[in-house]
Amino acid sequence: MARFFIRRLVLLVAVLFAVTFLGFSAMNFLGDPLFNVVGLMAELDCEAIEAGSAEDPSLDRARSDCETVAEARATYHLDRPVPVRYLLWVGDMFTGDFGTSFQNDQPVAEIIREKLPETLILLIMAQIVSLGVAIPWGVVAAYRANRAFDRGSTVASFGLLSIPNFALGVVLLYLLSLRWQIFPSAYESDSVVGLVFSMVLPAATLGLPLAASYQRLLRTDLITTLQEDFVHMARAKGLPPMRIMFRHALRPSLFSVVTVFGVSTGAMIGGSLVVEQIFGIPGIGREIVTAVVRDDFPVVLAIVMLVACTFVIINFVVDLFYSWLDPRVRAR
Amino acid sequence: MSGDGRPSRKGRASRQRLLRRFRVFRLVRSSKGPEPDGPGENEAVRRRLGVGFWLAVVWLVVMAFIALFAPMLPFADPTKVGYSGPREPPSAGAWFGTDALGRDVFSRTMHGARISLAVGGFAIVFGMVVGGALGILAGYFRGRLDQAVGFTFFVLLSFPALVLAILITATLERSLLVVSLTIGILAVAPVGLLARASTLVYAEREFVAAARVLGARNGRIIVRELLPNVVIPMGALTLLGMAVAVVAEGSLAFLGLSVAGDEAISWGKMIVDGAGLRDLQNATHVAMFPVAVMFVTVLALNFAGDRIRQYFDVKELAF
Amino acid sequence: MAPDQTTAAPVPLLSVRDLHVRFPTERGTVNAVNGVSFDLYEGKTLAIVGESGSGKSVTAKTLMNLLPRSALVSGDVTYAGQDVRALAAAGTKHFFGVQMTMVFQDPMTSLNPVKRVGEQIAETLRYHLGRSRSAALEEAEDLLDAVGMPEPARRVMQYPHELSGGLRQRVVIAMALACQPRLLIADEPTTAVDVTVQKHLLDLLDELRRDRGMAMILITHDLGVAHGRADDVAVMYAGRIVETADARTLFVDMRHPYTEALLRSIPRIDDPVHHRLDPIPGRPPELISPPDACAFAPRCLYAQADCLDGVPELSGLVGLHRFACLHPTGTERGVAAATANRAAGVTVAGLPLTGDPGGAG
Ligand SMILES: Nc1ncnc2c1ncn2[C@@H]1O[C@H](COP(=O)(O)OP(=O)(O)O)[C@@H](O)[C@H]1O
Ligand code: SF4
Ligand SMILES: [Mg+2]
Repeated sequence: MARFFIRRLVLLVAVLFAVTFLGFSAMNFLGDPLFNVVGLMAELDCEAIEAGSAEDPSLDRARSDCETVAEARATYHLDRPVPVRYLLWVGDMFTGDFGTSFQNDQPVAEIIREKLPETLILLIMAQIVSLGVAIPWGVVAAYRANRAFDRGSTVASFGLLSIPNFALGVVLLYLLSLRWQIFPSAYESDSVVGLVFSMVLPAATLGLPLAASYQRLLRTDLITTLQEDFVHMARAKGLPPMRIMFRHALRPSLFSVVTVFGVSTGAMIGGSLVVEQIFGIPGIGREIVTAVVRDDFPVVLAIVMLVACTFVIINFVVDLFYSWLDPRVRAR
Repeated sequence: MSGDGRPSRKGRASRQRLLRRFRVFRLVRSSKGPEPDGPGENEAVRRRLGVGFWLAVVWLVVMAFIALFAPMLPFADPTKVGYSGPREPPSAGAWFGTDALGRDVFSRTMHGARISLAVGGFAIVFGMVVGGALGILAGYFRGRLDQAVGFTFFVLLSFPALVLAILITATLERSLLVVSLTIGILAVAPVGLLARASTLVYAEREFVAAARVLGARNGRIIVRELLPNVVIPMGALTLLGMAVAVVAEGSLAFLGLSVAGDEAISWGKMIVDGAGLRDLQNATHVAMFPVAVMFVTVLALNFAGDRIRQYFDVKELAF
Repeated sequence: MAPDQTTAAPVPLLSVRDLHVRFPTERGTVNAVNGVSFDLYEGKTLAIVGESGSGKSVTAKTLMNLLPRSALVSGDVTYAGQDVRALAAAGTKHFFGVQMTMVFQDPMTSLNPVKRVGEQIAETLRYHLGRSRSAALEEAEDLLDAVGMPEPARRVMQYPHELSGGLRQRVVIAMALACQPRLLIADEPTTAVDVTVQKHLLDLLDELRRDRGMAMILITHDLGVAHGRADDVAVMYAGRIVETADARTLFVDMRHPYTEALLRSIPRIDDPVHHRLDPIPGRPPELISPPDACAFAPRCLYAQADCLDGVPELSGLVGLHRFACLHPTGTERGVAAATANRAAGVTVAGLPLTGDPGGAG
């Protein structure tokens, strides 16, 4: 167990470095890094401006811009090679300095702190929706495998899996909010109840397609498990069917779901960009899209890093979760 | 990560776990699990493609035809502002109505197929060429190369797909080529893992060993013996991969990060155009027609793709 | 079945009459069990013996209502006067596991890999007998002790994968015995465990059965396992009982050529180490659309033309020595048939006779 854990940990650290380095170099190699940091000011011909008449008041503005550029070069160490810059940047990240938005000079750490809760609530609610729907759905489908309900749910999940997130969001928004007016159409933060209620549709948009895929996985694994000897044994022990289903068959059938849980969190994070847009949720997803559109690179970079690292860590935790699901993994 | 030299039991287990993870990219798992009361997917059933498959194929062929020849077909000008009034409901003149700027939604939807299918097709080809090559080389030569490639795939997959796409499109001009490449890069790792896994299977078969004994060079073995066998499972999953790529492009477009410019019409862009609350309330058709066409297209790709996957009996290695 | 003749005829604990089980499959209907009947009395052991595929497990699963939903079952199964299939259909609580229960062949797969051993035993006690968790765990420990598990206190907290095959099978037995069932069905309980512990486990099972006055159906492919442990033996072939009698009679005075062949394939202690056993040549027949003939004919040294005209009926009444053969071994007809076949060098069904056909002549 200890060795297993250490090996995973080493891999985790390696992947985190690789992921951040990849993101960092993308920002530095694709396009002009100076531009990425100071925007249009990078185009200024500072030497010419310096050389210009010191008296000329029309150049005052340009001169201060040039100072900003020089400052940026210094803060972002733009005259150093990329690997060095990367290490300096990682160092900054460790001290909690995530950079500063050059749209509004707000520290990125502060932006993240402000927007993260909304996104977290959304993602957690979405996972609750997907598991809450998928587990009963998969259990019933497997219990009555190949009967009408099961066949119907195959078709339904096929459909759900073919609707892109944004399309499902728009359809749900139209039907449940505008047409039948069951849920609010926009984000509310006045009260906790209102907040949760306004998050139901976004969470369903993210969670339902996932529920369909969880349901498929769970159903297939359950059908296999239900043919295992130990299920027969449990029946020979005289335990009632639903007790066997939940106490004996479910846990060993959760492997695929747990495996996909990590990846699906990635898909969900991607989906949250879109969903926050549709339902006007002021979260990380909307922030990054806005930042991309405004070429606010420090924000983009910091959020991408945050998201990628979270994703890597979630998958690491999921791997550890296996050992709870199957004690045999611990022995390996 | 991936083992050293020969696959240890543990290495195999974690690899399988890794492979299982990527099933989600496939969107659809086998629609038929093993029968509860007897043998699983039966040969005869599997080998029948069925009416649904052909319906899906017809839809895809029609969409491909429209995408290729849209400018030559008798559609209204999709970019002409104020073609008739704004937000007009569907009519004989404008089948899908008009959008907020009075542009013909039907014509735009048909033209939207161009970018979606072009990006989808290019991305999957790119993924297959690059990912396939890397996967085969890694699976054939094993050792350090395998470890390096495996690690690269792992890192690529450590980004949520849409976030990686944003990272790339954020820094470059959003041209058709850049968007296609971006989504192609997303396809590299899953396709590569699939190719690597099937290479591992075949590299141990007798015909490869025989070729080696006969003194065939590595290059020849890879091209003559391995490639044809690895291309089959890869090819069987093309349509499923395309479905993912089309959705990815749509998502980027929805966020305004796909191909830039008014000329570049995309389903995602059209849907976001019609998704404002007022438009959704009063001119539902603006968003719903592209939603419907996109849904049917993705459904057709998934459905036909899944049938093909079953037909070739590609199961465990699915990405 | 040699009931005690001095009292009024006792009621059998389990009575099976004309049991048929068929499985519709894509290749056709599998006739897995074709008219099986037997009685089992309180405290007695019935051994069901036959090669793999003869329908032993399907019979056992039918008794326990463990068949897949697709199976077509007909016939009567009565337990202490109650219709078992009706009880099962009605979802009667506390019947299976309390009255009758089963032990499966493979202890590797018949324990839940993700639950502690103690929990799995305690579960039955808690559900059927309403024990508290801690009381049930204590009882589980006692049960493990009773089945000869070393260090039971430590074992209850272990997972199945931490135990050897032999120890796991002990757990399964403890689990089955938890609620003191009156009937235990043991389906090849030692086939999957290490040879060195097989005999030990069988003796343990026998001892536990005796102590508790429990009835047992012992299923095995090895006639030797039945020897000394069973009161009655039923030999199955192709879904039918082809010979049944009390154990003494069957071993000493068998009538069916298949029983004889099975007996010859038992390894003996006094055999030289590399002594080749006489495996029965040929394979059991297809169970999909079987021919209307004695199913054993293609492999039978005694087979005559009349063996191919229909399935031989089981002779006599339930409870007596019964066999389904037209040319029984050890009878005049059998001797004549064997002699004729040996003279011809080939049986009617086309089986060539090389060398000694065995102790029949
Ligand atoms: N669920 C099933 N579907 C189809 N055939 C089955 C099924 N279960 C068992 N059989 C068939 O029934 C026959 C008897 O099997 P079984 O009772 O397991 O034999 P054994 O005597 O070795 O225990 C075999 O030919 C087997 O293939
Ligand atoms: S002698 Fe005839 S009836 Fe008896 S077992 Fe042989 S073939 Fe069957
Ligand atoms: Mg059996």
